[in-house]
Amino acid sequence: MKIRVDRLAFSYEAFTLCVPSLTFADAKVTAVVGPNGAGKSTLLKCLAAVHPPPKGTVFVNGQDLSALPGKSRARLVGYVPQEPAFTFNYAVLGFVLTGRAAFIPALASPGRHDLEAAREALRFVGLDGFEERPFFELSSGERRLVLIARTLAQQSEILLLDEPTTFLDPRHESEIMELVRRLAVEKGKTVVVTLHALDMAVKYADEMVFLKGGAVVAAGPPLQVLDERLLRAVYDIDMGLVDVGGRRLIVR
Amino acid sequence: MEIVDTLGRKVTIPGTVDRVISLEPEVTRIIVALGAGEKLVGIDFFLRRHDHLFPLVFPPASRLPVVSNQGQDLHYEEAVRLRPDVIFASPSEWQAAEAIERKMKVPVAALASMGRFDGLLAEIGTLGRILGREGRAAALTSYIKAHLETAAPPSSGTGSGPRPSVYLSFWGSLVRTPVSYEPVEAAGGRNVASGALPDHLGTAGLTISLEKLLVWDPDVILIQGNYPPGERQVTVEGVLRDPRLASLRAVRTGRVHYTFGFWYWWDPALVLVETLHLARLFHPGSAPGGDLVRTGDVIFKEVYGAEGLFSALCRVLECHAWTTK
Amino acid sequence: MRGRRNRKSAAAFVLAAILPVVLLVLSLNIGAYRIPPKAVWSTIIDAVVPGGTAEASPYADILFRIRLPRLLLALFAGAALAVSGASLQAIFRNPLVFEFSLGISYGAAFGAAMSLVFLGRKVPPQAAAFVFAIAAVLAVLLIAGKAASQIVTILLSGVIVSALFQALLSLVELFANPYALQSLIFWLMGSLGQATWDDLALTLPVIGVGVTALILLRWRLNVLSLGDDEARALGVDVRREKMLVIGLAALTTASATAVTGVISWIGLIVPHLVRMAVGADNRKVVPLSAAAGASLLLVADDIVRTAASFEIPIGILTSVVGIPLFIVLLKRSGKVWL
Repeated sequence: MKIRVDRLAFSYEAFTLCVPSLTFADAKVTAVVGPNGAGKSTLLKCLAAVHPPPKGTVFVNGQDLSALPGKSRARLVGYVPQEPAFTFNYAVLGFVLTGRAAFIPALASPGRHDLEAAREALRFVGLDGFEERPFFELSSGERRLVLIARTLAQQSEILLLDEPTTFLDPRHESEIMELVRRLAVEKGKTVVVTLHALDMAVKYADEMVFLKGGAVVAAGPPLQVLDERLLRAVYDIDMGLVDVGGRRLIVR
Repeated sequence: MEIVDTLGRKVTIPGTVDRVISLEPEVTRIIVALGAGEKLVGIDFFLRRHDHLFPLVFPPASRLPVVSNQGQDLHYEEAVRLRPDVIFASPSEWQAAEAIERKMKVPVAALASMGRFDGLLAEIGTLGRILGREGRAAALTSYIKAHLETAAPPSSGTGSGPRPSVYLSFWGSLVRTPVSYEPVEAAGGRNVASGALPDHLGTAGLTISLEKLLVWDPDVILIQGNYPPGERQVTVEGVLRDPRLASLRAVRTGRVHYTFGFWYWWDPALVLVETLHLARLFHPGSAPGGDLVRTGDVIFKEVYGAEGLFSALCRVLECHAWTTK
Repeated sequence: MRGRRNRKSAAAFVLAAILPVVLLVLSLNIGAYRIPPKAVWSTIIDAVVPGGTAEASPYADILFRIRLPRLLLALFAGAALAVSGASLQAIFRNPLVFEFSLGISYGAAFGAAMSLVFLGRKVPPQAAAFVFAIAAVLAVLLIAGKAASQIVTILLSGVIVSALFQALLSLVELFANPYALQSLIFWLMGSLGQATWDDLALTLPVIGVGVTALILLRWRLNVLSLGDDEARALGVDVRREKMLVIGLAALTTASATAVTGVISWIGLIVPHLVRMAVGADNRKVVPLSAAAGASLLLVADDIVRTAASFEIPIGILTSVVGIPLFIVLLKRSGKVWL
């Protein structure tokens, strides 16, 4: 699934996101990074077409995403929000099942097929035994996994994850990013994540997109695109790149 | 002079009373019946706006200022302007009398019959003393007593048979009934709902279930008829045709009738007419005969001193149909 | 293990489906008019089996003309209020929402007032109550405008519209003559005993369709309860489906309220009770709310019919019992929605 952004412009209050042209690699993990307020979440939401952008188009496999009916769009693109808004304490399986909404008519209930898809998704994220656990009782990391499982149950080819590692401890951060990589590698999904942690991006992403002030400053594979001058320009502080034990680290 | 009102309050009334405000329609009607109507300086909301009878009984009422609202609350500023010597309040709200007396610094007497004939007679007597119409009050009370005796059934069981059981459908609903309604007893009937509420609650309205009505299976069903015909929610035809009531004795024998019923206690003339009307319904053989409309006019003339009042009321309520039988 | 859980769940559902029927049969035996149980059975069988006894049993009138319509109305109205409450709570993601929040109760009350005070018998109060209840919901949606799917806006509109109709109701009461006022006050207190088969011929099917549709939508409510953005991301036409739910809830509760008067708290409390017992999943909450609401209202009406020689208006009973119960629930559970 190729995502191509064409002349996208989205503004609210004092901020404008403007992306004349951007393409996301197929079956790869792309990390969108940048300082706070750069427009990362906004870009992701535009890609998800939750709200149609007033100007510009997002093409998926040549189709205008916002022109598609909701059901078809959901089968192409899945969106994992940073924090789910929750009111009711559903069980984990029930929560994941809601991801099947695009496959179930309004007056119907989930069938065996849908239950299987939900269970498979839970297995993939490693939450096998969690089916009947109440959502409120899970830790932040587990809740993130459940959200990802829900989007997996949606069986969309494209997954958009908004800040999946924020507020997690280092071990869980890595776990999530491992999972993200497996999505692309094992399942062939096109994954776009927004990240704060640059080192996560460097380690796990195939491509990176740097945003600042609502514009794309640089895009490409991490090893190619990353250099100290870029980092200084984007983040406004001095950062260095160091190779230690075969790993590229960012040092302040 | 000192009187004791219906709430048991001792009230000191000035010797001469020339200016009167009454918030209780029953009291106003009695004042007019006592010939003291000219002492009224204000009229209450109900009698001015909603009572069908009073404008016919006392035409000058249309020129009197309205001194209360829907809830029988006094308009204080208006009342002060009118400088009453005494104010008559409703005993139904016991704090009202105290509050008015405190604010107006005018004696307030809470008077009403409370739905009992002896209460009515006492009330007439008290009002006669207050308004200086003792003679007229005595004549009126004698008239009422005499009339009740003629309407009442013979005391020993000769001739007229047992008291028929009676159900009253009041206040626009088939299932709301007054627990106590003296005209029924006075006319020789028996209210099926009496005793359904503990005595200390007094005369009150009761909401029953339809099944209860079937359990009681009264001989006669009476429907409150002093609603304008177009506004009646419960009608004789409706009751006779209601499939749920088909098994009732009263429905099968056609003994479903209108009666007058009252708002804000009684009209002294109309209650006599009603008692007579009911006596004929309950004991058709032994009750006094004659054209009820004409008899009604006679009663009203005796009480209020004017001609044709009952016929006029019949035109408004379309009650000749039920009274001429 | 999974099998055992499913079997327990299935058992709960079967029980829930049977309970209202069992209560109906029991309630047929209850009433001011004593009918021995054997007579109840023989009357029912005579009616159901063709070619029964030629003479009309005196019990038949009571059972089929007086008790049965009242009991059916209790079941249907209770189900309508509870299911609507559960559905509205899901889509507004607020456990304190029920049909009251859409202005339905005060709209219906105002309609009844207009009929009883100004229109006389030309327009029956049920029809006017229904019309104005729907008008109230439309007013709520109109005032909320484009943001009608947003929780805060619609709840605010509901408060405004309720307040408006409440004020208009007071105005009508002020100008009403005492005759009409009495009828109105009686209507407002709520009663299941006034409806005849004529009233129910229209009301019951409408409620039946509405409740069935909302039960069919039970899984969809889970999705809608995630919030507009997430539901949309999952491919749901949020605006249309929310309007559908609101419309169905409005239709069922307006139909019920038009005939019964204002009966509060069932729509709020029953879904909570159900959630406390089986969790928040609407696949269980919605149908069980229907059964629980129906059963509760039926039992409440049984109490009203038999507790004393006079009838307490059922709206008062549900408030007097419902509010303290709700407070106890709130305190016990800590969080309102578990």
